[in-house]
Amino acid sequence: MSLAADAFVSQMAAAEPWPENATLYQPLKEDQILLSDCASSLAVQAYLRMCGLPVQVVCKANAEYMSPSGKIPFIHVSNQVVSELGPIVQFTKAKGHSLSDGLDDVQRAEMKAYMELVNNMLLTAELYIQWCDDATAAEISRPRYSSPYSWPLSIILAYHKQWEVRKKMNAIGWGGKTLDQVYEDVSQCCQALSQRLGTQPFFFNKQPTELDALVFGHLFTILTTRLTSSELAERIKSYSNLLSFCRRIEQSYFEEKNS
Amino acid sequence: MGTVHARSLDPMPMHGPELGVQADDIEAPEIEQEPKQEVLENKNVVVQRVHIDGLGRTKEDLLTYEIAEVFRARNLIDVMRKSHEARQKLLRLGIFRKVEVVIDTSRGEDALPNGLDVTFEVTELRRMTGSYNTMVGNNEGSMVMGLKLPNVFGRAEKLTFQFSYGTKETSYGLSFFKPQPGNFERNISVNIYKVTGQFPWSSLRETDRGVSAELGFPVWKTSQTLKWEGVWRELGCLARTASFAVRGESGHSLKSSLSHAMVIDTRNSSILPRKGGLLKIHQELAGFTGGDASFLKEDFEIQLNKSLFWDSVLSASLWGGLLLPIGDKPTSIADRFYLGGPTSIRGFSMYSMGPQSEGDYLGGEAYWAGGLHLYTPLPFRPGRGGFGDLFRTHFFLNAGNLCNLNYGEGPRAHLQKLAECIRWSYGLGIVLRLGNIARLELNYCIPMGVQSGDRICDGVQFGAGIRFL
Repeated sequence: MSLAADAFVSQMAAAEPWPENATLYQPLKEDQILLSDCASSLAVQAYLRMCGLPVQVVCKANAEYMSPSGKIPFIHVSNQVVSELGPIVQFTKAKGHSLSDGLDDVQRAEMKAYMELVNNMLLTAELYIQWCDDATAAEISRPRYSSPYSWPLSIILAYHKQWEVRKKMNAIGWGGKTLDQVYEDVSQCCQALSQRLGTQPFFFNKQPTELDALVFGHLFTILTTRLTSSELAERIKSYSNLLSFCRRIEQSYFEEKNS
Repeated sequence: MGTVHARSLDPMPMHGPELGVQADDIEAPEIEQEPKQEVLENKNVVVQRVHIDGLGRTKEDLLTYEIAEVFRARNLIDVMRKSHEARQKLLRLGIFRKVEVVIDTSRGEDALPNGLDVTFEVTELRRMTGSYNTMVGNNEGSMVMGLKLPNVFGRAEKLTFQFSYGTKETSYGLSFFKPQPGNFERNISVNIYKVTGQFPWSSLRETDRGVSAELGFPVWKTSQTLKWEGVWRELGCLARTASFAVRGESGHSLKSSLSHAMVIDTRNSSILPRKGGLLKIHQELAGFTGGDASFLKEDFEIQLNKSLFWDSVLSASLWGGLLLPIGDKPTSIADRFYLGGPTSIRGFSMYSMGPQSEGDYLGGEAYWAGGLHLYTPLPFRPGRGGFGDLFRTHFFLNAGNLCNLNYGEGPRAHLQKLAECIRWSYGLGIVLRLGNIARLELNYCIPMGVQSGDRICDGVQFGAGIRFL
């Protein structure tokens, strides 16, 4: 998102408090949503729950195209539309809700660095496995992605999406990677996260931040989603403190609200 | 563009009337009845041979249908008339630049004393013609390149390609047209196109990629068209500030539709006619042959013209349409009807009336619009017999309504809804006829019956278009 758009959003947002009828849009949960979108959506939901901001989740087949940035998820708050975790964090901050206010500058810089790490490693790995691994693309990603459309549009859109992601992978130098190398990257990323977390309840001690929401979104989704191979989940399962971290966030922010 | 019902982007007009010479521009030369010819009229003649000179690519069998009638002529006047008709038919094929007729007495061994030879001297169009022009409009400049292959396979088939490269959008279309030999009105055409349109009144942007096949044929006095169209439609918001209702319509959809159109046109010209009428009925069934969009769409257009005193013409038109969704899916913003603007109900902004959300017009599922015009020559008739004849003054009264119908209320409730809160306007202005395809209007309008949410254009309004209420 550009600086000007950021400024615009913050300015607009400050005017009104958080409404009761805020909605979060994502693709159809049962038949359509893919691992990476599901993870990003869960991260935003976790973040909003940590802030104590109510949001209603709505599944729409065309959510990707409704989003102003073309990315999942996006929230519709009063008459504004904001997509992706970064801008949503900015937006809530402008409304007076923030999780990272208690951090000092060094910690904030560290948090941003780890968030970049998660986006660059975990999110990219998810996209790679979804669209660049032929078995996963053919068995899961393409059929699910195109499920709301009729033939021949379904074929066109699925292959177009695959082509787009592969082009992006080539641009960032992931095009030549093998699946094993990607798993290895995920392991390294998890190791870094595991070391940073240590024995603390959250990444920055007692209080959750947007980093916790982002890590939870990705790890929890990877752990609970069935893919063609369980290798990705297995890599994460070897870090026990990350597993208990996921369980802790699930229990404190998702289960209690449901019961 | 410029049709009230069709947000559907019509593919670029790749076939249909050519912009140059129109059939009704060519006035049939009156055959002068001189005393000398009266004698000839009674004299029996036999057309022995018909030559066509100057043929290159054109296959002869195609032309035999067009000139067959000439052989049936029994006297000289008949020969002249039938030759003239044959010439018109040849020109209409759109494959010759020039056709000249020479009638002479037969020569040679088997020549009969009353035998005639008719020679058509034709000049074929070039194998390929190109055009290049620039267009400015809709906050966008574009460059349009056209490539036409008339008579590709020698039987009046036409292949047309158009490419428009704009500052914002790129569109193209490829069309193949083939008439049945000897029956030009019976024809088939196949089109492939991509058209992008921006609709600021709805904050909507639409890209259509489509294939269509069309069959045209005359039945009695009507011309009928059957069409199948498969379109991949991509909708998106024009700006970040678009209303959420429009945002909700974003994304891809596939429309596969069968449509039928019937036209009876007895007007002497399609722009500023002096007499005659027009009846157009169009129906479209989508979803039956696949795709995501399912609806039945019906619409009609009636126009009647009557000449009055002092070269003035009274013209009345009525349009109406209904869109019925099939199944539980609501209709798409791209299929609904739009009304308002200088080509329909004057005094309102372009397509800016009826159902709306946060200032974006969403269109309606039913509409009607009627117009009454009195066209007169310019006051004091400057430039009479020349440039001035392209202009007309007109007084108009327009009325109409556009709304959504809640199915289940019954037909009576629907009619009542359409009769409630009628928008209407009146005023006067100047009309300029551009060739035989378009017209420009400059009007002073007074809108009435304005409903909340409608955007009006009180006072001077400029309009340009092909189809007018």
